[in-house]
Amino acid sequence: MYNLRLTPEQLEIRDTVREFVARKIKPAALRPERLEAAEQPLLVDVLDEASQLGLRALALSEVAGGAGADSLTSCIVSEELAAGDPAIAAVLGETWTLAHILFDRLMTPGQRERLLPPFLADERCHIALARAEPGRDGSLGIHYHQPGQNDPAFTTMAIRAGEGWIINGLKHEVVNASFAQFFVVAAATAAGGTSAMLVPRDTPGLTVNESGPATRRRHGACGQIIFKDCHVPAENLLEPEGQSKLGREIARQIPQQLAIQLGIGRAAYEAALDYAQMRVQGGRPIIEHQAIGAKLADVATRLATARSIIWQAAWASDHPEAFADRSLPDLPLASIAKVFASEAIYHATKDAAECFGAMGVMRDMPLAKYVHDALICLHSGEANTDTRLRIAEAIAGHRRADACAVLAAE
Amino acid sequence: MDFTLSNEQRAWQMTARKFAEEEIRPISLARDAIADARETFDWDIIKKGSKLGLRTLAVPKQWGGHGTDFVTQALVMSELARADSAISKTFSQCWKWSHLIAATCTDEQKRRFLTPFLEDDTFLLGKGITEPGAGSDNRLPPDDPKAGLKLRAQRNGDEWILNGEKCFIANGSVGKLFFIDARTDPHVPLRQGTTMFLVPRDTPGFRIGKVFNKSGWRFYQNAEMIFENARVPHANVVGPVNGSDPKTAQAGDRTGGDLFGDLELAANALGVCDDACGMSITLARTQQQGERLLFDQQLVQLKLNRMYCLTEALRSYVMRIAWEHDHKVSSANAGLCMNFSTDVIQEVTEINLELHAGAGVPDARADKLVRDAMIWSHLAGDTVQRMKPTRRLAREMP
Repeated sequence: MYNLRLTPEQLEIRDTVREFVARKIKPAALRPERLEAAEQPLLVDVLDEASQLGLRALALSEVAGGAGADSLTSCIVSEELAAGDPAIAAVLGETWTLAHILFDRLMTPGQRERLLPPFLADERCHIALARAEPGRDGSLGIHYHQPGQNDPAFTTMAIRAGEGWIINGLKHEVVNASFAQFFVVAAATAAGGTSAMLVPRDTPGLTVNESGPATRRRHGACGQIIFKDCHVPAENLLEPEGQSKLGREIARQIPQQLAIQLGIGRAAYEAALDYAQMRVQGGRPIIEHQAIGAKLADVATRLATARSIIWQAAWASDHPEAFADRSLPDLPLASIAKVFASEAIYHATKDAAECFGAMGVMRDMPLAKYVHDALICLHSGEANTDTRLRIAEAIAGHRRADACAVLAAE
Repeated sequence: MDFTLSNEQRAWQMTARKFAEEEIRPISLARDAIADARETFDWDIIKKGSKLGLRTLAVPKQWGGHGTDFVTQALVMSELARADSAISKTFSQCWKWSHLIAATCTDEQKRRFLTPFLEDDTFLLGKGITEPGAGSDNRLPPDDPKAGLKLRAQRNGDEWILNGEKCFIANGSVGKLFFIDARTDPHVPLRQGTTMFLVPRDTPGFRIGKVFNKSGWRFYQNAEMIFENARVPHANVVGPVNGSDPKTAQAGDRTGGDLFGDLELAANALGVCDDACGMSITLARTQQQGERLLFDQQLVQLKLNRMYCLTEALRSYVMRIAWEHDHKVSSANAGLCMNFSTDVIQEVTEINLELHAGAGVPDARADKLVRDAMIWSHLAGDTVQRMKPTRRLAREMP
């Protein structure tokens, strides 16, 4: 049954979050003096309030104490939050996704018993994923469409030391790096494959670097993590050694991350629409001029089509059976959504800013921030060049042995 | 068709290239990173450039300037912009208004204003048109007298009293002399009721407000101007009263419009594109990915191809416009070239950023070029700026 109707719960949570964003986040995030400042520190008070609404555990199952939101609902909430502040959206989205992946799917009962209660008890407990590595990212191009090719191994290594592990390596583009209480770390071990481990923030040998341009590559208190002889006890290994499914699990994040960019684009669109109805040049509100009217129509078109493909990819990851019964095409929908939506939303945001004339590039106005924020999204994570190649491999029927599951169909 | 440069043109190009590489590029990123928009400016670079003639090269020879041709000006602007677009624009902004002085001022005015301009290495020029309520309406004025700039000038004996404000005015906080468009008859459409005044920085009642905090072109100072009973002598009126219409026969090129301004933005964009192409091809030929050079990948080659195609097409167009200006062939082409430069500079700098980000090489300069290129949207490529040359095209058709 083809159905685009949101459930009453989805509508309710969207309205609640939208109202919270209008009342709390936007006024704080868009203060001119804050916009003008070179650094825009995380709005911690607002983050705490959002956590108290239950957003920190949005995707965690109800049984475990969360709200049990599926991927589509997560996208709806991410878009709303990001329309107010992409950093808040990224921080919460990272934590709620990882909480679901860890506590609902990957942890042993023992691990869950040990770690879930403190996570639920502390409103400020956030989680970070330390996965991306400078040398490993973007290397897909050179391995494109070669038989039996795997994604390259992580250079971050975990070596057995007695009962535990010693980790060495460097991770970058780590969202929540600045304050996460624990990190999920993807590493290679002697056994081959990928292993995932939990590393508490205060572990000796773990350093967080939160300064420099390299750390501002993603929204949400992003930074680099350096591991130097970092000792991790055996009970912190997630899943059997070398068989981590983490890569596949985090594919769930892709539509949600796109929804953050969508929220940015929507904020820009709404601002431009207001302005175009108010600003008079050429004897009438500028929206009544064809040139601006058509531009805003393009912005609306790009955002609406981006939302459709993002939601479709999210719904697909919530309903894998829809591939099996041939309701969905056998296509890597998340990758397709990423390439299309990230470029369309960036263009839409730029066009929205152009409606403001010179004010569109001023730092004390939100528009320059929206364009900058959308650009960060466009260039964070896997480059679209590589995502295009993944789509090309997939439509040619070429399967990577350990593809990081951008393929919704898998 | 002959694209060979004369020895003189080549010499200016080399002077600009050397200055750009040795003096401008080393300070470019640091100036861009300064958070306070009022603190990004650097008088040292202006003085050094001025001593090489880069501030005054458009002033005619008979007035003591270098009297360079438009081809030279285009070459120098792109060379400087290759190192820093905003610093190049700060210099060329002075050329734009030296053209205006040469075209429209009386000999008495030229003596009074060109002499100090030529003698003082820190003498910068600007022009105030835009106001908070009037941007596009100044570019394509509707017939309604209420539309367009509102800054009012009223005659009082030998003086004019100016009241109102301007915004985004280039070189506003650093300039010593400004051309100010003011309404001298508010009851008629903009072009019939506007007069241009020469307003020195130290005019009583005239002050500079805030400096706008732009995301790109950080070095370039765009400021607010406030006129509270500012007193300007009648001798500073440029051209006839109520005669600021750039289309009137006597007015010459009074907007800094197609004769220079359009070429200026296109030539500046060309320099930025050259820089972006250089960065990208260097990255592709030095950065290893896995065990191979980035350049070995087809998609990287195709991206470089796109960057070079656009940049070289822009170069041809820019040089053609410059040549046409030197040969007094005035057409809609300058405006079209400026519009085209918007599309080119934005696409080329975006691909450059994409290549760096995709290779995992975050680069502050790649980011800066994209931010600088955004400025073209409203200066050179918004819908009004695109309709203007189109209308001219239609108007001039036989």
